Amino acid sequence: MTTPVLSVENLSVDYEVGAGVFHAVSDISLVIPPGRVVGIVGETGCGKSTLAQAIPRLLPEPPARIRSGKVIFQGTDLVPVPKAKLPMVRGTGIGMIFQEPLNSLNPAFRIYDQIAEAVQMRHWREDGILPSFHPGPAPFDYSRRPITMPSTADVLSRPVMPGTAKDVMAARRVRTRTDLRDEVLDYLRLVRINDPETILSLYPHELSGGMRQRIMIAMALSAKPALLIADEPTSALDVTIQAQVLTLMKELIDEVSASILYISHDLGVVAETADDLGVMYAGRLVEFGPVAEIFQTPRHPYTKSLLRSIPTRYKSDWPMPTIPGSVPNLSQLPAGCRFHPRCSLARPVCTQEPPPALRVIETTVGATTSHHAACHYAEEVPGLP
Amino acid sequence: MGRNLEDLLIFIGKRFLQLLPVLFGIILLMFLVTHVFPLNPCPRWYPKASQQVLANCEAQFSQPVLTQFWTYFTKLLAGNWGASQFGQPVYPVITERFPATLELVLASMFLMIFIGIPLGVIGAQYAGRWADHLVRVLYLSGWSIPTYVGAIVAAVFLAPVVGLPAGHEYSTTSPPFAQVTHMSVVDAILAGNFPYTVDALEHLILPAGVLAFIEMGNATRMTRSAMLEVMPLEYVKSARMKGLSNFIVMYKHALRNALITATTVLGVTAGGLLAGTVVIEEVFSWPGIGAYAFAALGGGGEPNFDGAIAVVIVFALGVVIANLIADILYGVLDPRVDWR
Repeated sequence: MTTPVLSVENLSVDYEVGAGVFHAVSDISLVIPPGRVVGIVGETGCGKSTLAQAIPRLLPEPPARIRSGKVIFQGTDLVPVPKAKLPMVRGTGIGMIFQEPLNSLNPAFRIYDQIAEAVQMRHWREDGILPSFHPGPAPFDYSRRPITMPSTADVLSRPVMPGTAKDVMAARRVRTRTDLRDEVLDYLRLVRINDPETILSLYPHELSGGMRQRIMIAMALSAKPALLIADEPTSALDVTIQAQVLTLMKELIDEVSASILYISHDLGVVAETADDLGVMYAGRLVEFGPVAEIFQTPRHPYTKSLLRSIPTRYKSDWPMPTIPGSVPNLSQLPAGCRFHPRCSLARPVCTQEPPPALRVIETTVGATTSHHAACHYAEEVPGLP
Repeated sequence: MGRNLEDLLIFIGKRFLQLLPVLFGIILLMFLVTHVFPLNPCPRWYPKASQQVLANCEAQFSQPVLTQFWTYFTKLLAGNWGASQFGQPVYPVITERFPATLELVLASMFLMIFIGIPLGVIGAQYAGRWADHLVRVLYLSGWSIPTYVGAIVAAVFLAPVVGLPAGHEYSTTSPPFAQVTHMSVVDAILAGNFPYTVDALEHLILPAGVLAFIEMGNATRMTRSAMLEVMPLEYVKSARMKGLSNFIVMYKHALRNALITATTVLGVTAGGLLAGTVVIEEVFSWPGIGAYAFAALGGGGEPNFDGAIAVVIVFALGVVIANLIADILYGVLDPRVDWR
């Protein structure tokens, strides 16, 4: 039994805007054990990004409001933390890769300055100069990384919080300007950038989208976060670049044995990266379980129809299977189960009574994850066409 | 990418060449405005002057306008800026008075940058809340008050309340050190005279403050809207996700990008500041070219056209150079701008 890096309990997030209240995330619970990659899939507008940004409390409040629930990061609930203290959690605690590589690097600063800033923040926290959230018990474990460059491995295996005062002094002594530069170069090599020395002095607008996304990944990793949230890191890229970045992400996940929350709208991407998978529909988590199991025997009608609508080279059923209807407006959600207007299994009970929200907390802490679905008739789903 | 020093020098050189036609146009326009009359203006301007002055004046104005302009322009090119109707040469007066105006303008520019821009950031950060409304009330009231009203209110009512002097550069008429630069604070610092430095600063606060208060609206408003544009962008979020404090995120990452648009406005504001000195210097008895321009245009005396044109040339130069500096800053702040 291990303590999870992150456990989200019954989290609900609303957007209160002029047009009404939008329930972007309703009653979501999930757990990320150390070293596990949890994927979240869902259609556009189902609340995936809201969930991703609500965890480090990055949403602008207002208009967003965390209505209820807990976000327990390494044993501390982040929801009641005052705004001024939130920076202590970010960076070395929770890192994030954004969707839009074109906008996620500051156009006014050189690549070196942007990565060095993240490394410097971590150094200051490691040395106790800046307050950190608290010594993280589970930062990224870089030990599985093959040692090709001795200096790199040496730098990467340094603990996030040196224990004794002697360690602190030792850590301080080694840090010089060239060390910082070397470390930045190490992280650029980590994301497979050839010729990192030239990249350092460039501005973001001089780089391609794929390069920028690699740098974004390097920047997030350079803080050695205990939890990395990847919010659709490949969605905004060209297909070829997408494949490259995805390969990189997979290799990095293998190398650094990380706790990652991987958000995507692409089932294929999640299938390749994640250990556990959560499926979101209209702000709710409808199914959660190990990736392989969900792909083999989906237990929610929505997941079933999603999987059915993945086009493959071999299937020739035309027209392509789709899900009838469209995603409900998040301010006027249907009563009962949110999927019932589009569900082939829907019965009277579905229109009145919402299925109980998934309680993954008790079950997932441990080696394997059990498979759950928020459906009244989950047993019948495997029998669907 | 054309972003090395050579490109920058070529860029600045080009801008200086563009300056020449602008200056010529300003001189021509200003000359025509002051020298084209339907009637003989001399007896009205110099009612008490001697026959000799009147005769000189009439002889000057009876020539064709273009001849008058050519005479003036060739003299100007030769370095002769002309003289007042009583023979007092203009050039030494300008050189002696201009530094005082420059000091006043730089001081209010300083206030605008270090008060006006942070106010804009505050307005953007609390957009739609009471702090934002307070900032808006502040800069709109500055904007809507006519310069002379603001200056007189500050000099007559505010000065006694806050205990600051409202007029002149120093408390005594002749400070006990050489006025090398003719900038009151700089001279006092150069002389190493601390009490006089404090005294000069106290005299500078009110005129510079009023000038800044009246012109600050542009800087605040532009900063606010530029910040509102920048703040929802993802790089601000990614800066937050590095664990940086809100202050660093706002003033380093967001403001650095918002300033790119705001600097352009600061360059334009320089014109407003220079124009404001005409009234401010008159009200606060500040010995700069603004007050000189007021006198030269006949404010309470006889007109001095050569002096008026000279001040306008200096102001025009000031505005163009301020905009050049703003353009260069724009290029330096935004790495995407090509200097070629």
